[in-house]
Amino acid sequence: MFFHIVLERNMQLHPRHFGPHLRDKLVSKLIKDVEGTCSGRHGFVVAITGVEDIGKGLIREGTGYVTFPVKYQCVVFRPFKGEILEAVVTMVNKMGFFAEAGPVQIFVSNHLIPDDMEFQSGDVPNYTTSDGSVKIQKESEVRLKIIGTRVDATEIFCIGTIKDDFLGVINDPGAAV
Amino acid sequence: MSGEEEENAAELKIGEEFLKAKCLMNCEVAIILEHKYEQIQQHSSESDPSSQVSQVFEKSLQYVKRFSRYKNPDAVRQVRETLSRYGLAEFELCTLGNLCPDTSGEATALVPSLKSGGRFVGDAGDEKIEKMLNDLSLIKKFE
Repeated sequence: MFFHIVLERNMQLHPRHFGPHLRDKLVSKLIKDVEGTCSGRHGFVVAITGVEDIGKGLIREGTGYVTFPVKYQCVVFRPFKGEILEAVVTMVNKMGFFAEAGPVQIFVSNHLIPDDMEFQSGDVPNYTTSDGSVKIQKESEVRLKIIGTRVDATEIFCIGTIKDDFLGVINDPGAAV
Repeated sequence: MSGEEEENAAELKIGEEFLKAKCLMNCEVAIILEHKYEQIQQHSSESDPSSQVSQVFEKSLQYVKRFSRYKNPDAVRQVRETLSRYGLAEFELCTLGNLCPDTSGEATALVPSLKSGGRFVGDAGDEKIEKMLNDLSLIKKFE
């Protein structure tokens, strides 16, 4: 789920950047340092939308660097256990399939795929129902529920299920419209 | 596994920080990210803005563009206004706006927290949910 939140960060700036464009340099450094990163608490920082406040700079002892506390608004993506969302299938194998929802990867194990769907290997590996009416393959859009999250150093990884009611394929790229 | 053992979006247990935060639907995020992308395009001397944005940004932009139910900014605003009239939490509002369930049964399956808190109790509650979903589908029809 996407959120718009205010975060705070201490930015260090070298004296060479001091001058009339100090604020701009601080903001571009903030964007470069923070956009695209991920934390367990806030999820992925997708984009910074604005800077709310830049506090007074404190010169650090021993070096000439100055630390500024910066408050900024940003869009983050944070997946939650129990959340239901839509994702695109990126890879299918006999253990299950991988799907992507924005920056987050979700794995759905074959144990959490309805029993009437079976794995078919081949050029385009897929899961299909016995009557062939529903198929999950690469680029299929599925609605899934997140049942667990794991936080790495640089990303969040989720596991999901499509076994509950109202979950499963939304759109089959192979089907005639 | 993450240390948040009690975390459960189905019961709106997402932590106080996120409960109080502003939640965004995919269509709203699409408007924000597309605007930012255009800004970078205008300000950048290089012709390719995608080299200046992170992979997280690109993936998120592709995702929200693909999974936006409403493309028109006025429609997006109307969706938020309509859903706000039903006393929903931000997280519930955005989940409904993103998934657009057809029936009250589907809505309560996708957002189980709707049934708690005494807001949509019994048959009257189901009717209220159906009306809410109807209002949503009207916006889509006249988008």
